[in-house]
Amino acid sequence: MLQRTITILWPSFLVAGVADVIFTTLFDPLELMYRGEALIEHRVAAYTIGFFVFWLICISSSMLTCYFQRSADEINRCPLPAPKRPEGCPKREDESDCC
Amino acid sequence: MTENKQTPASSEAPIEQQLYAIRQRIQPRAVHGVFANWRIAMVLLTQLLYYGLPWLKWDGHQAVLFDLATRKFYVFGLVFWPQDFVYLTGLLILSALGLFLFTAIAGRLWCGYACPQTVYTEIFMWVEEWLEGDHLARKKLDKSPWNAEKLRKRGAKHLVWFVIALWTGFTFVGYFTPIQTLAAEVMQFNLGPWETFWILFYGFATWGNAGFMREQVCKYMCPYARFQSVMFDSDTLTVTYDTSRGEPRGPRSKKIDYKAQGLGDCIDCGVCVQVCPTGIDIRNGLQYECIGCAACIDACDQIMDKMGYPRGLIRYTTENVVKGKYPDSGILRHVLRPRTIIYTVLMAVIGGAFVWSLATRVPLRVDVVRDRAALSKETDDGLIENVYRLQIINKDARVHRYTLQARGIDGLRVVTAAREISAAPLETIDVPVSLVADPVALKGRSIAVTFIVQSADDPRIRDDVSTKFFNR
Repeated sequence: MLQRTITILWPSFLVAGVADVIFTTLFDPLELMYRGEALIEHRVAAYTIGFFVFWLICISSSMLTCYFQRSADEINRCPLPAPKRPEGCPKREDESDCC
Repeated sequence: MTENKQTPASSEAPIEQQLYAIRQRIQPRAVHGVFANWRIAMVLLTQLLYYGLPWLKWDGHQAVLFDLATRKFYVFGLVFWPQDFVYLTGLLILSALGLFLFTAIAGRLWCGYACPQTVYTEIFMWVEEWLEGDHLARKKLDKSPWNAEKLRKRGAKHLVWFVIALWTGFTFVGYFTPIQTLAAEVMQFNLGPWETFWILFYGFATWGNAGFMREQVCKYMCPYARFQSVMFDSDTLTVTYDTSRGEPRGPRSKKIDYKAQGLGDCIDCGVCVQVCPTGIDIRNGLQYECIGCAACIDACDQIMDKMGYPRGLIRYTTENVVKGKYPDSGILRHVLRPRTIIYTVLMAVIGGAFVWSLATRVPLRVDVVRDRAALSKETDDGLIENVYRLQIINKDARVHRYTLQARGIDGLRVVTAAREISAAPLETIDVPVSLVADPVALKGRSIAVTFIVQSADDPRIRDDVSTKFFNR
């Protein structure tokens, strides 16, 4: 689970950094308008918030990648062998069910 | 990503395979020798540069400052604007080619000696060695239960790590916000929220990466580690165990004639594994985990000296040498090969273009913004008028006065409210301007026109920008 979290967070971090640099180079955050008003007052704040917004977007993309990457076996069946299933699982003793 | 599923033949077969092994904490043994000295030198050099550079002054401003708040990058005498993004791209391409070139020649030199991950891990391990003792003492401390002694040692280590990490974070932010101001703000506990955040964020990343993640960053997180082998060929220098000389390995007494016993030079002492920061055995051949730090070379050379065998059982050499295609003395001759020549030529061409473009850079930039409300209007005396806003950026370090002309239509007149257009050093000015033309001279709905902004005091400084003039 930890590894999965890192594989989601880390590539998103890298891409978000690059995206933030490119975006803020092309557009001056002070000139960004939303419904006729300036969106933000401080550039450094804009860069920081922008970075985290990009990171969030990339994280959601990475999460979906991980989500869709699950194989048919993982979706159809419990991936744990019967004896390793959590206590109280009704299929814990059921040898025939495993995979 | 954590599992690599296979269809098991029976219920006893493992269903889930861990893609990543459970990590054992690696406590590498410290090593001394030629390459360790090189690394110490590189750590000192890179950090002197990193910590020192922001304090350097140039022409009254910080010599290297990527001033994010004002969107100006100062690099010694040069000032870059967001419009100069192409130079950053050029610089990145040059750096990438440089990396490709020396990776092709000598493998992962970057990883072994200059990468911040290696450098800070090295610094953090010096602290560890100093406060917690050698690798054996550290392993013992890892296993020992928490007591006053362990608390004191660990506490002291983290305190020193913390200070180094904070200083690193502060310096990092000092590249983006003037460091003198930043230092003053820190002294007065008056630091802005965003600066505080980035100092802590970068400090935390340093502390985590150099203190805990260490080789895992290289093994699992570094993109370069994954593709560096693409630049390798059979003539690339890598840290290599000479199998033909070393095998069959085995322990032996120093006095015996081991060759008569059928043994190779490797005494299987395992020191090369103990010193490895990524915990691999170099004797298994080239592996992507190997960061080319050459700690095993230093370690093995010491053992070879003790045994009275020639050095270099593990050494920087090429695949072709190990295969016996040419001796070690031939390595230098094989540096010149199509791959390295292509990289060099590309670097020379792009580097040349980069320098030429910088040298001939005109310190003026003009952008035209059309008045969006009214495309064109008719004046009282029946002429057609278009309104624009000229954004003039004086990229020079001195004041300039500019003259304004427009071309593209017969009898085109430029009307400005300002009597004189002048911009202070590094100043951006907005000049409202209108173009007036006789409708008789206008052919078509929209006509291409060009503004010519010319410095009054330097004929080389001029910028031509084209825009459209709209008829009624």
